[in-house]
Amino acid sequence: MTDLHPIFRRETPGGRWQTEVEVTNGIGLHARPSVTFTRLARSFPCAIEVAVDGSDEWLNGKSIVKIMGARIRRGARLKIRAEGFRAEEAIAALGELVRRNFDEDRKYGRPDGRPA
Amino acid sequence: MAAPMAAPRNLAGPRDYRGTAASPGRAVGPAWTVRERSAATVASPAGQTEERHALEAAVAQAADELRALSERSDADSAAILDLQIEMLLDDEMLAPVLARIAQGDSAALAWAGALDAYIDSFGDSPEDIFAVRSADLSDLKNRVLDALAGRGRTDFPEGAIYVGKDMPPSLFLAHDWSKGGGVALSSGSAIGHVSMLARARGVPMVIGLGPVAVEPGETILVDGAEGLARINPAGPAAEPATRSVPQRPAEPTDGAGAAHGAAVGLSVNINALSDLDLFDPAEVEGVGLARTEFLLPSPAEVLNEERHHDCYRRIIERLGGRPVTLRMLDLGGDKALPGLVAGGTGSFLGERGIRLLLARPELARLQARALMRVAAYGPVNVLLPMVTLPDELAAMRLLFEEEAARLDRLGMPHRMPPLGIMVEVPAVALTLDLFAEAAFFSVGTNDLMQYLSAAARDDTAAAHLTTGSETALFRLLDQACAAARALGKPISVCGDLAGDPHLARRLVEAGFRQLSVAPMRLGAVRAALLSRGPHIDAASA
Repeated sequence: MTDLHPIFRRETPGGRWQTEVEVTNGIGLHARPSVTFTRLARSFPCAIEVAVDGSDEWLNGKSIVKIMGARIRRGARLKIRAEGFRAEEAIAALGELVRRNFDEDRKYGRPDGRPA
Repeated sequence: MAAPMAAPRNLAGPRDYRGTAASPGRAVGPAWTVRERSAATVASPAGQTEERHALEAAVAQAADELRALSERSDADSAAILDLQIEMLLDDEMLAPVLARIAQGDSAALAWAGALDAYIDSFGDSPEDIFAVRSADLSDLKNRVLDALAGRGRTDFPEGAIYVGKDMPPSLFLAHDWSKGGGVALSSGSAIGHVSMLARARGVPMVIGLGPVAVEPGETILVDGAEGLARINPAGPAAEPATRSVPQRPAEPTDGAGAAHGAAVGLSVNINALSDLDLFDPAEVEGVGLARTEFLLPSPAEVLNEERHHDCYRRIIERLGGRPVTLRMLDLGGDKALPGLVAGGTGSFLGERGIRLLLARPELARLQARALMRVAAYGPVNVLLPMVTLPDELAAMRLLFEEEAARLDRLGMPHRMPPLGIMVEVPAVALTLDLFAEAAFFSVGTNDLMQYLSAAARDDTAAAHLTTGSETALFRLLDQACAAARALGKPISVCGDLAGDPHLARRLVEAGFRQLSVAPMRLGAVRAALLSRGPHIDAASA
């Protein structure tokens, strides 16, 4: 969690936190990893946003439509930021999820996540 | 001397209201009065709140169903279901739906419209693993539509007498009439669609009663032959013995059933799947007219391609190889669809039938796909309502061809059915020779009469003009029949006229050889066509 850091606005309860991770799983954020990601994101009360490969467009990290629509491939750099209650915890958990390859390798055999 | 005092209502004797007979039979039951809900309420903020709540409830229900399914499924199937659940919980996904509701759309229309736009934005890219599969989205769309269709459809108790200003056909169709009951309307028209449905189903109905003062639950008698509604009937009249529950039409016992007179083919009209139990498929030529707007009476059902498909398939399977003519949605006029089609008397001369389908092609495309898919199961003909010009037929044919190409791409089995047209606009009846592209013709006498006599079919005041214009109608029918014969195209009559034994014989005299009638009318019409009454002799003399 070395690259996890708070950013400004300490007045916001829970603060504002951001991390940057590289996507290293099979193909990237196809359906199943995206679902895993947005589900985890929605379990936190804070706002969560994602930007891909240095883009300044921040996407709603709780939206499956936005996350899948971003076509996040293997090798992409993902910035994740959160603001509000439990923001620090959310950023830690989501960053870890990406680093663990969304637990895909552990749970499923097929790399593309589509049904056999 | 004391002035005569009005008796308290509950002690009052029978009170009679005279109206117009719309569907014969007698029924007695507790009155069920309608809370009038004007069209304006639908568009009001209150209506929008209602629609938003309906959507939220349907989404929640769909998510619950999916969770239950997901728990029972293997990992791969669960992954697909989980994706669908995740989409239902996605605020970004619901935002455009809520925006449409705020603009006045019904929940069903808003949901279907937003999902369709979303599906189209993805295109169909089965190789793209970052794209949501359109099949998943359609599945999701239909699941929520199903949940919406199941919500609070206003029904009333079985066996009750419906008392109101008018009655929406969808309400009539959703009700279970097998336990009796009847309809008493203060307004309405004998050739309006609800009257037609009531006659087809054998439900006693009186119309044009004017305001009826009745408390909910008070006993009311409806005499559909006399045009009478009696509140607090006393004596034998009050006995609910003579419910005109749909009966199987009497079949001729002399073995002439299959021949049904000369070379006249008798088919049936279908308004609901339950109508399929009212006749023996072996005794009819086929289904001459299935009114799809009645088969799928709610916006949520009309927008659901799978509902269309399943519903048509059941008709085709029941008919076991006999031809089934499915008419595309004839909405507008007195056939409104809340939130989708406003309807109203004005639209009798405006956007209804094929005009509406071409103006709202998303509806037409969805139905065209369902029709072509079921055409693969058996002989299906498709009938286009309210055609006025040959251009409209050409435009619809093009739309069918485009959807056929889409089904090809999706690898779904389908067949292009013959496309025929309704003859119900006088301009068409006069120019059948211009419609050589039509595969067949079907005369809708109810609408043809209303347009011929310039007398709206939902207006009690003009009803006598419609019925009085038979001479004009038959002159026009003579001409249309001859024109169809010259083209070598089949022409049939599927309006109420054909269900009247006397008029059915006049139609046969005029040269018609195919009639399609309500299942309840089969027996009477067949008997009339078999008998050699004096009428035909006199008329042909």
